[in-house]
Amino acid sequence: MISSGGHGIFLKDFGLSLDNSHPEADVVFVSHAHADHLPRNRSCAAVCSAPTLAFMQKRGYKGDAYVLDWQTPTSLESIREYFGIPHGGQSTAKGLEKGPEKPSTRDATLTLYPAGHILGSAMILIESEDGALLYTGDVKSPASPATEGVVWPSNVDELIIEATFGLPIYKWRPTHEIQQDMLAFAKETLEAGETPLFLGYNLGKAQEILHLLEPMDHRKMIHGGGYPYCEVYQQAGISLGNVEPYDRAHCEGAILVGPTSVLASGFASNVERLRVAQCSGWAALASRRTQLNLDRGFALSDHLDFFELMDVCDALQPRTIHITHSPTPDVVAHFLEQRGHHAQFLNLTMEQEEELDG
Amino acid sequence: MDEVEQLKAKKLEAKHVEAEKAKSYSFRTYCEVLDKVEQTRGTKAKQALFVELLHDIQAHGSLNDAVLACRFVSEGAFNPTSGLTGRLGARSQGLWVSEYCEIDYETVFKPCRTATGSGSETIELLLTNMPQAIEKRAQTYGRPTWTLHNMDASFEMMAQAKKSEEKRALFFQWLDTLSPLEMKMALRMLGGGSLRIGFEARSLLQTLAMVSGASLEDIRYAHMVLGSVSETARFVFEERLGEASFTLFRPIAFMLASPVDSLDATPWASVRLEEKLDGIRCQAHATSDRVELFSRDLNPLTQTFPDVVDELATSQSILGSSFVVDGEVLAFDPESRTILPFLDLQKRLGVKKPSSKLIHDVPVIFVAYDLLVLDEDEAFSHPLKQRRSQLISLCEKGSIAYSRQFEVATTQQCQRAFEQALRHGNEGLMIKQTDSSYAFGQRSHHWQKLKEPEGALDTIIMYAHAGSGKRGGIYSDFTLGVSVENDDRFSESYIPIGKAYGGYTNAELRTLNQELKKLVVEKFGPTLSLRPGIVVELEFDSIQVNKRTKAGYTLRFPRFRSIRWDLGPEDVDTLNDVERLAQKKSSVQRPSMDSLSDKAPIILPNR
Repeated sequence: MISSGGHGIFLKDFGLSLDNSHPEADVVFVSHAHADHLPRNRSCAAVCSAPTLAFMQKRGYKGDAYVLDWQTPTSLESIREYFGIPHGGQSTAKGLEKGPEKPSTRDATLTLYPAGHILGSAMILIESEDGALLYTGDVKSPASPATEGVVWPSNVDELIIEATFGLPIYKWRPTHEIQQDMLAFAKETLEAGETPLFLGYNLGKAQEILHLLEPMDHRKMIHGGGYPYCEVYQQAGISLGNVEPYDRAHCEGAILVGPTSVLASGFASNVERLRVAQCSGWAALASRRTQLNLDRGFALSDHLDFFELMDVCDALQPRTIHITHSPTPDVVAHFLEQRGHHAQFLNLTMEQEEELDG
Repeated sequence: MDEVEQLKAKKLEAKHVEAEKAKSYSFRTYCEVLDKVEQTRGTKAKQALFVELLHDIQAHGSLNDAVLACRFVSEGAFNPTSGLTGRLGARSQGLWVSEYCEIDYETVFKPCRTATGSGSETIELLLTNMPQAIEKRAQTYGRPTWTLHNMDASFEMMAQAKKSEEKRALFFQWLDTLSPLEMKMALRMLGGGSLRIGFEARSLLQTLAMVSGASLEDIRYAHMVLGSVSETARFVFEERLGEASFTLFRPIAFMLASPVDSLDATPWASVRLEEKLDGIRCQAHATSDRVELFSRDLNPLTQTFPDVVDELATSQSILGSSFVVDGEVLAFDPESRTILPFLDLQKRLGVKKPSSKLIHDVPVIFVAYDLLVLDEDEAFSHPLKQRRSQLISLCEKGSIAYSRQFEVATTQQCQRAFEQALRHGNEGLMIKQTDSSYAFGQRSHHWQKLKEPEGALDTIIMYAHAGSGKRGGIYSDFTLGVSVENDDRFSESYIPIGKAYGGYTNAELRTLNQELKKLVVEKFGPTLSLRPGIVVELEFDSIQVNKRTKAGYTLRFPRFRSIRWDLGPEDVDTLNDVERLAQKKSSVQRPSMDSLSDKAPIILPNR
């Protein structure tokens, strides 16, 4: 039922692609708006959450997406009708070229569950005669505080789950504890007359950092690439505090937030004393901290840690677990099998255009 | 167990018990401060933390604790002159931690170590995270925590443990009772390597000056003659820094040379030159009943070169004086009186108690070039000129070979002397200031080296290896190859010529890591096999014949000069190019010292 390859996952029976558009897909589910999950075709028939659509539009999506409300089962057939896709064919197929006849697709019920990764990030539950398939996209549980939270469905037969941090060396501290350390770091830095710079990806992590630092009433500046997304967060009721777009002339003494790539640009290079902290799951490793020559590393991740991954699988008890996005799938499968699960690796060579934080 | 060992074990056990009773500083608190030092940026801020720690230890621990605090952070578990070593293999550590955490070593531990790039960090993280480890530690909850004093005793027990079971028992005791952070630090200390907290010996010596108010100059002197940071700390804390003096058979930190800045700026009137010999550096201590040799890293060489020991013992008996000299051990044919290539000397290196056949096949000679101590005279504080005249008289009387030093008046003469040194088969020249004292343990500008211009080759990256330590988790080590495409001896296109892990900038390394991804053919463990695509201009100090490699040659100290994005696989140098370079070097006809008369780089005794 599931086929995978260079274009993410394609569920042929349903004509449904999960993140990244398959050439034969009628409809593409977009789990969230990070570049490695976006369809390449900027006007494809997409299904996603409302915030994800807002982010996609800011990132150049021109199409007419179908927005699903949280936890509201919707039939795939009604989505096809919305896009004007005939049963068993693509909307764009005009029959000019003679090819093998496309087999007719089957119906299913689609339900979105919030994934806690970034605002709008969604898991999709696909229910059909074959049973219930859950595709998590990128997920964090417990959820990042700058999201809608995380909700797990109870009836999962097949699970496709990401395992970015699939080694037992990764175990996150509670976010509120990390938050206290981040606040202390910002405070110490400012009190020493220096400027703190928090490194985090422009969409998601940057806003999470702002949200965590919100209790500190101090002016904050975010990299120009991340500023437009803040509006969507604020509209969703997630407070980001007193934030402006990065302005070189006035950035000294503000709390700065920008992606790791700013280290190689002239970002804030006029500031006399900068203290740099990376906010990423990878900061759990000493080598990552020293490579970037950081003042501090906060292991603030927007993914599951290894033990959360195990707990989720134990709670869901699916028939089969398909592991994606893991540099070490053998280790994850080994542990899952020890716990009585049937696990296998789904090799996706997703095209990565931007370096994400993790 | 024989009687001696029983006695030893009893002694250690007694020490352990005594340690438990003694008032001593907490090892956990100590490690937590080290962790804070690691997370703090800037030498001054790190030193401030250590000053605070030493004050705290002085208030709540013993004087010996303060010494241990200095030893553990700078030298590791053991005093370098104690002769003790940890000898606990990375594999054993990994296997035992895996057993403790109830995980599979091959399937789980190894991938974790690849990701962190550090065995000790992997151990810390697994012990922190794995529920099995947490549960086992909880069972020993409430037991007294370790102090610096009993950790010291435990390290010594680990070093003395002969059987694997004994080491294992100690290791599991640590696992049960040390925190994961303590465990990481203890293993790094035991290994004697860096604690990777960015606080090195030089910083610590300065910290000692801050804590005690003693002058940095006096502390550095004490460090040189005592040969150990922690011994220096002991003299500081016992307020008897003035008593620190040289003791025979405790090696003095070597004076090192820096690469020549500018020949044109060299004041020729105040320097002396000597040919740079291609052997291994050696410090010899001799008294009437004992001769000891030390290598540049202050490890004993005595057992490796019993022939040198015998020669020096004979010299000592003629002289009747005790002495410490700095010099070089060379492979040397006594029949033809010719210096043999380093390649020959290599056969003797690392061989303790060599067979009489090996001694016969690879004869060696000790060539002195500096005098450090003569009886009661600490010659190292004299200017070079004076040391040399003392050395020459010592060597002449005692029949010891010594280097010939000479003067030049112009840069041109220096150039000629340099070319001559190369013709003699030597590495280049040493340029030494005549009025300088022996600047111990530092790279000094008082000694400069002028070496053969390095060779360079355009090579292809064949494999990338994930680094460890500071470079863990990224591909930082590279196997580089030369072309054998049109070489009938080989069926492949490229063969490895060397492995390099330096010479690039951080930015270059990042770009390289991105570009590598496009060339991956296969991944096995921490290694990537790559399609030919990236050309690196590789520089190196010399080419050596090495029959064990496919190419038949290895490069000494290969490093990146530049990444040649402008070149492609077809531009890579060939094995024939390597062979030509090597032949050029070995075709140097090494002359007999007798044939060179007053130009000979070493002056041999007339024995």
